[in-house]
Amino acid sequence: MNTDVEDLLREGMERFTADLRAPAGLARRAARRRRRRLALRSGAGAAALTACAVALVAVVVPGGRLQGTALSSYVVKRVNSALSAAEPGEIAQMTVTTRSAMPFDGKTVTTTAEEWSYGTQWRSVTNSPDGSPVYDEGFSAASAYTLVSYQTRTWARQPGVGRPAAPVSGPHGCGPAVAALPPLLQYGLPGLHFASSPATVARTMRAAISCGTLAVAGRQRVNGTEAIELTSRPGSLISETIWVSPGTYLPVRVVIRSGPGRLALLQQTANISWLAPTAQNLAMLTVPIPAGFRKVPFVEAVPPVLRQIPGWASVHMALPGPGRLALLGPGPLRWPGLAVHRQLPA
Amino acid sequence: MTADRSTAELERFLAERADHLLRTAVLLAGSREAGEDLLQTAVERLLRRWGGFDGDPEGYLRRTLCNLTIDGHRRTGRWRLRERLLRGEPMLAQDVTGQVDLRDALVRLLVQLPARQRAVLVLRYWEQLTDAEAAAVLGCAEGTVKSAGSRGLARLRELADDWNDTTAMCGR
Repeated sequence: MNTDVEDLLREGMERFTADLRAPAGLARRAARRRRRRLALRSGAGAAALTACAVALVAVVVPGGRLQGTALSSYVVKRVNSALSAAEPGEIAQMTVTTRSAMPFDGKTVTTTAEEWSYGTQWRSVTNSPDGSPVYDEGFSAASAYTLVSYQTRTWARQPGVGRPAAPVSGPHGCGPAVAALPPLLQYGLPGLHFASSPATVARTMRAAISCGTLAVAGRQRVNGTEAIELTSRPGSLISETIWVSPGTYLPVRVVIRSGPGRLALLQQTANISWLAPTAQNLAMLTVPIPAGFRKVPFVEAVPPVLRQIPGWASVHMALPGPGRLALLGPGPLRWPGLAVHRQLPA
Repeated sequence: MTADRSTAELERFLAERADHLLRTAVLLAGSREAGEDLLQTAVERLLRRWGGFDGDPEGYLRRTLCNLTIDGHRRTGRWRLRERLLRGEPMLAQDVTGQVDLRDALVRLLVQLPARQRAVLVLRYWEQLTDAEAAAVLGCAEGTVKSAGSRGLARLRELADDWNDTTAMCGR
């Protein structure tokens, strides 16, 4: 019987498949199907992730306020992974709006800047209230800092300054000594000019979230996306809020606020886009030198730019030279200014 | 095989071997539609690495067909299979005379076996592979192939006996 079944099976297989012919263009069809599947996957995957994250927040955060730490840990872990992946691979583009209080009279000033950060490269263009550039600065792949002043129509380049610092992740970056100044300010993004030196956007945010001071607070629409909101603990000297995309877990907006009278900075908002490092996007990291601008020595280029910074003149005019910026210690007296101000030669 | 081959070359290879591979896929999947789908998926996987592919494409496709079958090729595919079984829809081409003999029945019963047993029987009796070759395709020990094949045949024998009894009772 064994042999019979085996033979019959063999014959049956031959017989039932004898008239089968494969359709033509299998490879072409497979290529088309693969493309369609990839497109569907990227769309549906993002949608599914969004739905999951939103559902998670909706379920675990009744009324939009976190009751436990499990959700926060999960989201923070995902954000950390997303930032880790974005660190070498994507360009962070930010539009930063800073509202500062002038010393003495308390008058508020609002400045805007466009920022780009990619690995150790960064660029920051500070605009006047009418939107025209005041100064443009950046650190290039060739390890040189470039500063262009649109006021004086001059530019300068200095090697060796402006390299982003590496934030200290983990307990050392979150100790009581720095509790008053959250990591986002402590290390500073290229556009957050409070820090001792600019750090990359992704690394600074990773350092900030790794401190465990941020918790999921709910969800909110940011630029048309239902984003997950992570906020610092109530009662902090400075409140930090990060909104992350539930699809990619990358931050899409950061807001830093301080109470009146505590810091010169009242509020800083950074809207963030994550761009692929295409040739066109990478070009945005280069500080262009406009035609007709005059090259000047670096120490000569800095002071006129510093005078453009709101409140700078009234506070620091007595200090000589660009090195005066280095005299300022970390803390609430720091002022929006050049990202490299702590590294300037005296 | 050289690296960086064109899709046209894959088309040429498939023009020669796709009929045979489709038959394998149909036997593994249980119906022509599911078999075509299975082969299409396998070709898609080969295409993904075709540019730098360095190996035997037929062997790769055969292995992928078996792996996809054993991994439960597409939940929807399995669901469709069960649905067809529940509805009594023909799984493989019916005998044109309507006379279903044991050979037809055995192939139809094949789809009721667990995927690994089915894959072993297809490799052994359709692809004419030895147990050692089948083990290499399936990525398992030769002993596993032997036991799966033996269990598969035993189950087919039981099903064939049932089929014989039923047809005898129905006077076929």
